[in-house]
Amino acid sequence: MTDPIIQVKNVSKIFGGLTAVNQVDIEVPEKYIYSIIGPNGAGKTTLFNCISGFYFPEKGEILFYGDPIQGLSTNLVAWLGISRTYQNIRLFSNLTAVENILIGLHPNLKTNWVDAIIHTKRFRKEEGGSVKEALRLLDYVGLKGYGDFLAKNLPYGLQRRLEIGRALANQPKLLLLDEPTAGMNMNETAEATHFIKRLRDELGITIILIEHDMKVVMGISDRISVLDYGTKIAEGNAAEIQANPRVIEAYLGPGGAALSEKYKKQRLSYAKSN
Amino acid sequence: MNKNLVSPSLKRGLTFGIVMIIFVLIDLDVMVATMLSKLFGANVIRGSLPDVRFMVLFLILFGMFVGWSTSSDDAKPTTKLFQALVAGLTLGVVLGLFDLILNQLIVTGTDVRKYLAALAPESIRLFLFDQGAISPLLHLGLFTVASLLGSLMKILLKSESASRFFKGVKSGYQGLKAKAQANTPNWVKKYGKFLLFLLIGLLAFFLPRIWGSYNNYVVGLVGLYVILGIGLNIIVGLSGQLMLGFAAFFAMGAYSVALLNAPLPHGIMLGFWPSLLIGILMAVVAAVLLGLPVMGMRGDYLAIVTLGFGEIIRILLKSDLLTSFTGGPRGIQDIRGPTLFGQPFSSDIDYTYIILVVMVLSIIIYKRLERSRTGRAWLAVKEDTKVAQATGVNIMTNKLLALCLGAAFAGLAGGIFAARNQFTGPNDHQLMVSMNILSILIVGGVNSIPGIILGAFTLKGLPEILREIENYRLLVFGGLLVVMMISRPEGLWPATRPNIEKDEGNKLKEDGAPGEGGLND
Repeated sequence: MTDPIIQVKNVSKIFGGLTAVNQVDIEVPEKYIYSIIGPNGAGKTTLFNCISGFYFPEKGEILFYGDPIQGLSTNLVAWLGISRTYQNIRLFSNLTAVENILIGLHPNLKTNWVDAIIHTKRFRKEEGGSVKEALRLLDYVGLKGYGDFLAKNLPYGLQRRLEIGRALANQPKLLLLDEPTAGMNMNETAEATHFIKRLRDELGITIILIEHDMKVVMGISDRISVLDYGTKIAEGNAAEIQANPRVIEAYLGPGGAALSEKYKKQRLSYAKSN
Repeated sequence: MNKNLVSPSLKRGLTFGIVMIIFVLIDLDVMVATMLSKLFGANVIRGSLPDVRFMVLFLILFGMFVGWSTSSDDAKPTTKLFQALVAGLTLGVVLGLFDLILNQLIVTGTDVRKYLAALAPESIRLFLFDQGAISPLLHLGLFTVASLLGSLMKILLKSESASRFFKGVKSGYQGLKAKAQANTPNWVKKYGKFLLFLLIGLLAFFLPRIWGSYNNYVVGLVGLYVILGIGLNIIVGLSGQLMLGFAAFFAMGAYSVALLNAPLPHGIMLGFWPSLLIGILMAVVAAVLLGLPVMGMRGDYLAIVTLGFGEIIRILLKSDLLTSFTGGPRGIQDIRGPTLFGQPFSSDIDYTYIILVVMVLSIIIYKRLERSRTGRAWLAVKEDTKVAQATGVNIMTNKLLALCLGAAFAGLAGGIFAARNQFTGPNDHQLMVSMNILSILIVGGVNSIPGIILGAFTLKGLPEILREIENYRLLVFGGLLVVMMISRPEGLWPATRPNIEKDEGNKLKEDGAPGEGGLND
């Protein structure tokens, strides 16, 4: 195991009387695809919001390369190299796809408004470079030819891709993907899965993934954590998670483990008889 | 006949009848007739009434509009005519009844001006075509015929052969245009834009010398409002902060120039240009002082706070407390104009030049800001503040920057305004000024420079040219806003987003470089 890129230590987030995230520990090594699964309302997105700076966790520590980042504002977290996407797509919908990615490039650019007004050499150089970079990213996420569409006019699947493109523009070390395949059909899901893998393999980005589609999770995750009612109930690789009775219970309710065994046997006997 | 056909037309006739009655009650009919008569070159002396022919013309046009709008688009010609007939008759009957009342007023000699200030017996007589008792019948006939005429016009103009004719004209024009484009010599393509700018520049140089001081005044006013519109657009249109007290920054610029450059109350006489610079700085300082505490607010709350800020500044300027410092309600007089290389530079022509130059500079600065990292950050903040921040945009600094830059434009315009009028007082900086500027954006089109120019001309230039509608300015204003909201919700000249991908592709093609192969190919 290489050094962890991010460590979530004993983090709790409480809303009024509800503990949305309860003493969760997570350690993600570099270049891992790390999945967080769990039933609806388990606190997965709340955990994401804690990491990306939207929420300030009441207890615990979040370390990015060993430095605490909890309580930093979201723009600083982004500036450090953590990008994210959202469960319900949140693009700048009245801007074009290219402009969305250009805004994603914001933390990497240095010119200010004075440069812009005077049109300094530095400004022209940087602006030209950023447009090229944005078009390259647009192509990379597969939106070539859609660059001048308003984001709100793009089809759903492309909006998801554009959101990832915007997140990539920041040149992140860590990418948080919140249900990237939600609402996709089987083909699109397969494509998206492949694409997420490529992000890790080609760009070397560490990815934390929230996902409900078990096929995706089991297919690409190096490690999986399971949350239920804000608490981490299991951690391991795909096979370990699938065999964990507490996980099955969390999804299927008490007695779920026995039930699942029964159905597995039934399926096996059915397969044998055919 | 079908009941579904009759009842909407009836309702429409009734509605327009009531509209017309309101027109008469506020004397708007006479004003429109006056404007029509001016359009036909008649010389109407202020305060006198136009010829009765123009009242007839106005009523016919009104009836035709009713007929046109009542005829459904997808109905058969006979149905259309029937609808127009019903609407026209209803309209005629409604106004006929109203005419009876009006006629009674004339006969008994009752003066209703005690209750309706606008309704003079002379205007009533004009509306009744001076025909007394038979005018209800005249109106009934007129509206019915006019309505049918309007419907007929719609049938003819929207018929298939007509649309084929228009299409033919359009394609012919496009063909000519394409041919002209193909035949344009290279030097025109290369220097065409430059030549166009040169022509506009020459016009801007010579026209103010020719067309007289009144036109200079109007152009100057429009130009100032364009500068103000650009400033407010940075705040409202780009960074999405609804600002209702923009006149406060305008006042900062105006009063800085006034206090530093007039004999009373202080007699500092610093000169126009340095005091203009200080005016801009003061506006920016005011923006920072206002901005820091309210940065966290959004939407309605921000609007209310900024509204209050604008009023506080105006009332402070007016108050007895500060009379010795700001001149109080009487304002500041004898503000000195600018000089250029030691020569006085303050005739109406010179001011037009100054305003036009500043306006062009403002447009260039705005354009450059919009197409920059900062401009995109502002747009992102406007679209979705939280996501913009999570994408790495510093919300505080960017919002504050937008507020300061917008205020700087207002200070600039205010300084020029005060010097041009040689006077400024609290009444120059009323809430209505803020509302006017905001309306310019809404009517013209947010984030669109041509839209702002068009809006400034519509809302500030037209009322100056059409002095007659002075009394009805607010009515026209409100009506225009409502119509705009319904028919062109994005403004007269809506903004478009740049086609960055296409432009970049064209650039590559021109350079002859092959397109970069992406990883997805």
